[in-house]
Amino acid sequence: MFRYQSLEDCPLDEDEDAFHALGEEDEDIDQFNDDTFGAGAVDDDWQEAHERLAELEDKPATTGEQEDGTVTDEMDLLGDHEENLAERLTKMVIDNELEDPAIMQAVQTRLPVQHPGGLNSSIWDGSAVLRRIRGPLLTQEMPSVSVLDYALPQRPPQARDEERDLSERALPRRSSSPVIGSPPVRAVPIGTPPKQAAMPNFNQQILCPKPVHIRAPIQQRYPAPYSERMSPNQLCSVPNSSLLGHPFPPNVTPVLTHLQRAQLLGGAQHGRMSPSQFARISGLVSSPLPSMNPKLLQGRVGQMVSPASGFRAFFGAPPPPAPPSAQQQHPPCPGSHLQNLRSQPQMFRPDTTHLHPQHRRLLHQRQQQNRNQHRNLNGSAGDRGGHRNSHQEQMQKDSYANLMLQREKDWVSKIQMMQLQSTDPYLDDYYYQNYFQKLEKISATEEMHGDGPKKERTKLITPQVAKLEHAYKPVQFEGSLGKLTVSSVNNPRKMIDAVVTSRSEDDETKEKQVRDKRRQTLVTIEKTYSLLLDVEDYERRYLLSLEGERPALMEERKQKICDMYDNLRGKMPSQDRPSDDHFVQIMCIRKGKRLVARILPFLSTEQAADILMATARNLPFLIKKDAQDEVLPCLLRPFSHVLYHLPLGTVTSLLQQLANLPHNATALAPANLHLSAVLQNKFGLSLLYLVLSRGEELQSSDAATELMQDNQWTELMLMATRELLRIPQAALAKPVSTPYNLLTLFSRYVDQQKLNFIGPLSSGLGVLLPLVAPCNSLLYQREGKGGCTVTVRITVHLCK
Amino acid sequence: MNYMPGTASLIQDIDKKHLVLLRDGRTLIGYLRSIDQFANLVLHQTVERIHVGKKYGDIPRGIFVVRGENVVLLGEIDLEKESDTPLQQVSIEEILEEQRVEQQAKHESEKLKVQALKERGLSIPRADTLDEY
Repeated sequence: MFRYQSLEDCPLDEDEDAFHALGEEDEDIDQFNDDTFGAGAVDDDWQEAHERLAELEDKPATTGEQEDGTVTDEMDLLGDHEENLAERLTKMVIDNELEDPAIMQAVQTRLPVQHPGGLNSSIWDGSAVLRRIRGPLLTQEMPSVSVLDYALPQRPPQARDEERDLSERALPRRSSSPVIGSPPVRAVPIGTPPKQAAMPNFNQQILCPKPVHIRAPIQQRYPAPYSERMSPNQLCSVPNSSLLGHPFPPNVTPVLTHLQRAQLLGGAQHGRMSPSQFARISGLVSSPLPSMNPKLLQGRVGQMVSPASGFRAFFGAPPPPAPPSAQQQHPPCPGSHLQNLRSQPQMFRPDTTHLHPQHRRLLHQRQQQNRNQHRNLNGSAGDRGGHRNSHQEQMQKDSYANLMLQREKDWVSKIQMMQLQSTDPYLDDYYYQNYFQKLEKISATEEMHGDGPKKERTKLITPQVAKLEHAYKPVQFEGSLGKLTVSSVNNPRKMIDAVVTSRSEDDETKEKQVRDKRRQTLVTIEKTYSLLLDVEDYERRYLLSLEGERPALMEERKQKICDMYDNLRGKMPSQDRPSDDHFVQIMCIRKGKRLVARILPFLSTEQAADILMATARNLPFLIKKDAQDEVLPCLLRPFSHVLYHLPLGTVTSLLQQLANLPHNATALAPANLHLSAVLQNKFGLSLLYLVLSRGEELQSSDAATELMQDNQWTELMLMATRELLRIPQAALAKPVSTPYNLLTLFSRYVDQQKLNFIGPLSSGLGVLLPLVAPCNSLLYQREGKGGCTVTVRITVHLCK
Repeated sequence: MNYMPGTASLIQDIDKKHLVLLRDGRTLIGYLRSIDQFANLVLHQTVERIHVGKKYGDIPRGIFVVRGENVVLLGEIDLEKESDTPLQQVSIEEILEEQRVEQQAKHESEKLKVQALKERGLSIPRADTLDEY
């Protein structure tokens, strides 16, 4: 706050000018800005803005001379102001503020208003003009004008009131523009510069030992457009008698009630003053008024900065003998000041916040009535007439609406958008991107089906910025002591300067062996997952990549897929055929199972077949481990895809694995525990069905299969069927799906008579019966030994 | 105007009546006047509403500036539905008294619970120590 206020800024300004001169440094400065506030934060050309502001400052700079007593100068200047300011203002407004409706409105309504005063009062009119301008203009910088305001604590009431009218509605001044970045150096304190009107407020602050909570009475509505309101001048002219019913003490002048109301309503403005500001003002008041009772101030202000220092610190000027011109205009004898100070407290309506809301509403209503009365008495007050209705309408409406200007809203959303800037939205904003992909897919399918009107979905297009690599070099000035701050948004201060030491592979493997095996498996799964995610991203990268890079990308992808496979199988380079142990470990963990299901589609046929085999070999164990998770069925779909690509030989050996038979051995085992375990599990049975169905499909479609292979398949098939029959129906699991050709499949191997015969013996047949029943003839389509054996064996077994 | 399509922005909520729940459990109701990127809020014509059972009371608070980090949740109030609430409004004094009673009762039961646990050799961390982060 302080730096905005004090004239210490002036030298700083000169410094900046020096910078201007050194054109080559501009770039650097932009760079510094970027470093400090982030790229693009300072969007517009600060230099330009500065020049524009500097132009404005010409005026204030000269008004400053006022303090040196150059009255004539002053007169000229202010005259100048009067003539030019309006014009200049419109220009400026056109430059900057056009987009803001509020401002436009303010300018339009305000500019043509005549202000009273003859030649003598021209100075005040001049500053009144200034002030009037400042009200709506808000965002423009007029720093030293506000200083002037401080310097002239007293002003003819007319000017003050008129200005008050404005500032009441006027929004507090904000940092210069919604361009992201720090407020300009010369920015005036946030909040309206404490003009005259701030004085009474300040007094009140002083007179309240505790901080005053200024609250707008809840029911109080803002009598919005100032042009429509009765000016305080008019209020002044209202006979005092009309104020008799007023809820305020009788000595309250309408002007001040007006102020008071403004203060209550516009509390936000004054509320923004920092304590230091108050302190300064207190100094301000006290120094031209040495006669004032210091106790008054000390008692109220309490610990706030000693009164004497404030004014000087603020202006950086010798203790000002009240400006001569000011004295001419309105001889402010110290006594009157004092009077003012003393009388004002009484004028203020007591804080209404403690009142009951009901009470407050009443109070407010009465006040409103009074105001209307004034208006009536005043008859043709301004342009009030035509707008009367709309005025009341506005009273009904939320008169505080749009306190946040459009550009401020834009500003905030701009900041929020800046946070979305990214060099790679897919990485940084993964979920949003995917969400919208999903939405687009849905709407695409909807369009395909042609139902419903086409919905336009608006998508937030996040700004994408090119990645900028730039090494940050902290600013250094030659001959300066100390260093400027090194950290910024882009280069945050390092909290830890950790050195990454990579340990050798040997150490790690040694440690791994020591560690829990399960943890090792978990690590493997995680590693494989990250590989998988990479692999899944290759499609996207492939599309984005240039033609030349693609072979390399494909190669990379292939390598990663191989790595994934090796991870799954725990393949050591030395070993030829890996043991299943590692794979089983992975498959015992839920995440591992899902991982396998996701990896399978990427693997080559051989690799996938190997995985399938390993699963089949260890299925009973896996089933036992899966009892809690029941995740295994998620593997079915990828498995069926893999199966679809396998030749009969592989399918046969897979069935063999499932039945846990040694290769080529067809020995008769009375009870195959392995297979029965498989059959009693949902996943196992489904998988078996899949395998059987696929095998049968292959066998029937491919005529050229070798007899040997054929026989083997048939035998296995039979064994599976037998096992299926042996297990009681209740124990059989319910498969996820039953392949369509299963019916014909079994019908080949089971005789109707035998089914009928064995039916009562084995309830397990119940599963098969519905499959078989529709078949009128059960055929041994296949000639030869295989078929016969089957029949015989079934008979033998079942009759036992 | 939709500032950021597909996202929620507080900007669209400006000048509407809002209920804000603060981290310390207070409930504020007021018109949202201004926000910034930290979700710092300026509420206008704010009341602090205290609910006890079926009763509630409003304490007028005027303009309330809320630091964004203290906001637990915030939502617009449907002005049409606002009036037909089954709750009954009572005076500030009454609701404060009710609140005090409620808190006291809660305190008592909490005390009993702690004691019961203590007798069984258990201890639960005090609620206020949990809050600190």
